[in-house]
Amino acid sequence: MKFKTFFLQRVLAWALTIWIGVTFIFFIPRMFPSSPVESMIAQMTSRMGNLQPEQVQALQKQLSIQFGLEGSLWEQYVSFLWNGLLHFDFGPSLMSYPEPVGNIIGTYLPYTLFLSLFSTLVAWLLGNFIGLLAGFRKNARSSKILEGIAICIYPIPYFLVALVLQILFCFVWRVFPLQANIKLSADFATWFGSLVWASILPAISLLLLGTGWWIISMKSLAGTTAEEDFVMFARYRGLSEATIGRSYVLRNSILTQITALAMSLGGVFGGSIMTEIIFGYPGVGTLIQNAILQADYNMILGTITISIVAISTATLIVDLVYPFIDPRIRYS
Amino acid sequence: MKKRSIALLLAVALLFTMVLSACGGESNSSSQGSSSEAGTSSAAGNESSSEAGGESSAESSEAGTGNKAAAGITTEVGTPREDTLIVECQSSTDCAGQFNTYMTGTGTGFGIHQLMSAHLWEMQTAKGHQYGEVVESAESNDDFTEWTIKVRQGIKWSDGEDLNADDVVFTFNMIKENDNIGANSYTNMYIDKVEKVDDYTVKFTMTEPFPRLDQCFGITVWGCDWRIVPEHIYSTVGDVTQFKDEQPVVAGPYTVDQYDPLGSWILYKLRDDWQQSTLGVVGAAEFGYTADQVPPKYVWFRYLGDSTTKQMAMVNNEVDVLCEMTLEELQAMTEMNDKIGAWMNEFPYANADDPGAKGIVFNCGLGAPYDNADFRWGICLALDIDALSENIFSGAGRAAPIPLLNNTNVMQELYTIPMTEWLENFELDLGDGTKFKPYDTGYAERMAQKLGYEGTEEEKINTFGAGWWKHDEEAATKLLNKAGLEKVDGKWQYEGKPFTFEMSYIADSEFQVGRGVQAAFNQLQAFGFDCTITSKSSSTWSVDDTNGNYQIAGYWPSGGNYLKDIYRPFTGFDNTLIQPVGQNSQGGYGGRWNNQRVTDILHEMANLSPEKDEDKCYELATEMLQEFVKDMPVINFLSGTKFVPTNSTYWQGYPCADDPYDGPWWWWSCFKYMLPKFTAVEG
Amino acid sequence: MAAFKKFWKNANFRLKFGLIVTIFFFILGFIVYYIPHINPFTFSTYDKGLGASGAHPLGTTSQGQDVFWLLIEAIHNSLAIGLIVAAIGTVVGVFVGLLSGFAGGALDRTLMIITDTFVVIPSLPILILMTSLMKGNATVILMALTLAMFAWAWPSRQIRSMSLTIKERDFIHTARFSGEGTVQIVVTEILPYALTWSLSNFMNATLSAIGSESSLAVLGLSPGNLVSLGNMINWARQYNAIFNKQWLWIGSPIVATVILFIGLFMLITGYNDYLSMKRGR
Repeated sequence: MKFKTFFLQRVLAWALTIWIGVTFIFFIPRMFPSSPVESMIAQMTSRMGNLQPEQVQALQKQLSIQFGLEGSLWEQYVSFLWNGLLHFDFGPSLMSYPEPVGNIIGTYLPYTLFLSLFSTLVAWLLGNFIGLLAGFRKNARSSKILEGIAICIYPIPYFLVALVLQILFCFVWRVFPLQANIKLSADFATWFGSLVWASILPAISLLLLGTGWWIISMKSLAGTTAEEDFVMFARYRGLSEATIGRSYVLRNSILTQITALAMSLGGVFGGSIMTEIIFGYPGVGTLIQNAILQADYNMILGTITISIVAISTATLIVDLVYPFIDPRIRYS
Repeated sequence: MKKRSIALLLAVALLFTMVLSACGGESNSSSQGSSSEAGTSSAAGNESSSEAGGESSAESSEAGTGNKAAAGITTEVGTPREDTLIVECQSSTDCAGQFNTYMTGTGTGFGIHQLMSAHLWEMQTAKGHQYGEVVESAESNDDFTEWTIKVRQGIKWSDGEDLNADDVVFTFNMIKENDNIGANSYTNMYIDKVEKVDDYTVKFTMTEPFPRLDQCFGITVWGCDWRIVPEHIYSTVGDVTQFKDEQPVVAGPYTVDQYDPLGSWILYKLRDDWQQSTLGVVGAAEFGYTADQVPPKYVWFRYLGDSTTKQMAMVNNEVDVLCEMTLEELQAMTEMNDKIGAWMNEFPYANADDPGAKGIVFNCGLGAPYDNADFRWGICLALDIDALSENIFSGAGRAAPIPLLNNTNVMQELYTIPMTEWLENFELDLGDGTKFKPYDTGYAERMAQKLGYEGTEEEKINTFGAGWWKHDEEAATKLLNKAGLEKVDGKWQYEGKPFTFEMSYIADSEFQVGRGVQAAFNQLQAFGFDCTITSKSSSTWSVDDTNGNYQIAGYWPSGGNYLKDIYRPFTGFDNTLIQPVGQNSQGGYGGRWNNQRVTDILHEMANLSPEKDEDKCYELATEMLQEFVKDMPVINFLSGTKFVPTNSTYWQGYPCADDPYDGPWWWWSCFKYMLPKFTAVEG
Repeated sequence: MAAFKKFWKNANFRLKFGLIVTIFFFILGFIVYYIPHINPFTFSTYDKGLGASGAHPLGTTSQGQDVFWLLIEAIHNSLAIGLIVAAIGTVVGVFVGLLSGFAGGALDRTLMIITDTFVVIPSLPILILMTSLMKGNATVILMALTLAMFAWAWPSRQIRSMSLTIKERDFIHTARFSGEGTVQIVVTEILPYALTWSLSNFMNATLSAIGSESSLAVLGLSPGNLVSLGNMINWARQYNAIFNKQWLWIGSPIVATVILFIGLFMLITGYNDYLSMKRGR
């Protein structure tokens, strides 16, 4: 009974969060002084020289009809909620007209997911492992060194790390190609090989920073837990350090880290923008950036809505599963 | 000194930790994934590593394999490097495999119009002349309401069919019937009927007297929206705006060989029967190309990301031509790889003939003082072109004195230099009874001396321009006073209130204009204007421009590129088109500059034929330019200055200052007509 | 003074290091900054591309600006942005978090849904959207406000859960039984807890705001007239300082950013350790 109420409440909050989020995303671009129609015409002018006034007027009319921007804001909003949010049909991309936004995202999303999920998970595991050691064995030299490294790397702005990696590995030593070249039309082995090869450098850059964060947060969690009374008692009882680390410290600190992982998984969309731009890696991040710069409303909505749904769903799942992992938490 | 050692220390620390965690990351990932997976990845890794590093390793073992510099090297797409020209494309595409340019999103500049499309008229920018591509000749009736064009014979589609009048008629009717095609409304506005007369003759019936069919429906800059499609393919397609055309049948010399489904590259292959393509037929007729001038077998268009990556790619010989870089980037590249050059191999390096002289525009729609010529002239005289140019590209670039006119080489010869006498005698009334002659022909000489540039008088004028406007703060002050501004305690005031304005530029493109505005902002601030500066994204600017939502902005509404007839680019300056600020300008000039004489001239030119009334047109054009100077609606700094790097490690014969057979416009449709000149470097 | 001596004696290495670095940057940004000097943004003030010398300790840029004073101005603005964002984020966050945690019921749920919305909306795309579409004159303040939009949600969530736990602790019950009102409890019992946490959150927010601003700048989206650390890096990159080996120009904002970040970060972790150590006593 209690679970049911909690479940319903949580799901309702989930739906509301998504709704508010996408409404925000729907109206913001439309409130600002930029329009895909003018953007398109400006592109043509900059390529073809000054267009004639009649040509511009003709294009303005034609494009706003094509792009579905002729209705009132309210009509557009309702149709977005119905098609976009409920059916995940965001209409055609305005800059790659008439290719549907869904198709384009479908093409690029797997690459973003592959890279980000992989590097986030590895960073999480690695970071927590090192962090646990560092927090639990506070005074060991190895844990101090590892933590020191994490502290020195984590605060470095991401683009710097990525840029340095690219210059060293792609230019000076020429180990990796400058731009990711994923052989999609080749056979599976070649394709997968080229995908992995293209992902190594971006993944390392993400790992460098991601791991640092997990080390630091896990270390402080583990450090706090290790000072709690029940760990002291375990020590007095003569349990081995390994057992204490595994069954007491880890189990108690990992919960917080799982929530944080869920939150960061959702963040892969936004976080991948810099990676993709610097390494020329295909993915949703570049789509988002280009869409924003060219005022491609449908693409902005499509990518960010998916991102919002993904993050809220991830947190929803974690919230629902949490009590099963940690019996101390009651549904409240 | 101390900072330096800290920097060094940090760099070492950064490196060390990177290597450390790189090892950590890898070992972890292999233990993480299943062992077989790790196996494949490393195997594939080795394979492609040999490919990426292939160019360098192969170079040493080239001796036995051939006599080309690139012999033995294979590109990332599997073609021999000696047969592959690698060209940068400035943006990637989200809809790969889509080659139908009548779908809005198709990446036309991704080699599609450079290598495959056929247009009615094509442009020769170096000589400033337009020639028929599909069109052999065009004749009109006396009042320009009917045009009869002859289609060139001998051009074949890549599947062997002849290109003839049917294709032209079909293309135009297709555009006229499909309102999802971008060119639809404009075509319908002026073209009433397109009919076939015989297999190689087409008759266009216009809706009104239309003397400039070639300029409006053919290419003058970059490309145009009327690309002839094969009737025998497109007529079988249900909806041409939904037809991707994944294996295009084309009239141009290349066809698509492979493409990246993720949109980062396209590999084009030369048609076996390329002599029957537009390049073969028109190239022979217009450029005198012979059968043994064979263009590169493969042209690989690739997107290379940000400018850092582009530089690294070119230094590593992984790309032969780049589209646009800054002076600093070019210099850095030539320092690292001496095979890299540009239009000129020494300062100023750049080609200054790109359409679009960059400068600042005034929003006259805001009323006083922006709509006052004295104010605009005052600002102009407060600017120091020497310093501006130095801040833009260290002095490289041709000064463009006449507002709104692109001071390309062709235009400078046609208009600016012949107008010298008028310009020198042109006087400004400073409002205190004195007159001031602002034109200054000393710019070229000063810059040449400052920069140590040696050359003949003619070369100096070609390089730095015929002149610009004097930097005279006293005259500027008088003009501004005349416009109602007053300098109080070193700060300008208007109507008793501090006078401020915002200067904007476009953030994500066009370094030339951005730097120009930054420098002008600095100079005006020093001159006592309490102005601010801001960058706008291009999508914001496009709306702000059309709605008149700016004060002074860096932009290039300029026109007049390579053709003697300069009517068409200035049609938007007709004052009957002016809309109030805040409303869409609907194709009228966003700066809302109102000049009756210019409007009258435009109306008069509209019905004159650039061929039959050539002298009258020229006379009116000159008078219009004089009006521009008197009113100074925009201030042009430098003519469009493009640093277009070329790498002659594997390929040579690029157009350059010593051999200017065409402009270095790899992203324009005329690119195909340069290719027979490109040859592989002998090793 | 004695209190400080005691603090210094008890402080760990990181706290000391962080504090010294941070104070050093504050001196640069808020004291050295006010030493009279020519507006460093003005172009062609000096010769271009000079190396380090007595007159220009860090040389000059390709536009003839003095790198040293540009750097000082950049540190000033970046710190200002960071501090404003952190202040707004922390104050709003603590307020919303406490309100929601203590009020409970419908208010709590509404506030949390709004907070969650801001947590789930990806911030970088929205920041790109805001800055790229923001009409012109983005100042330090406007930039900070934009960044602050996303700086309050996470702290308010943390503070809320913190206040929920604290609410259940014995001493609160004791206080309640002894007749203290909710407001009084919040102020006397809970705020001190929240404050120590907020201080470390404040420093973290400063750090991430400076980081976000530099990301935007590197994407070319920070206001063009704003001399910030990120913009300085971006300008140097636009003039190709990396490949033209103008190390002082490109390097000084990078090194400053990295040292400032490490310093702030050490300050945070050192401070947290210091607190936990103090509590342990």
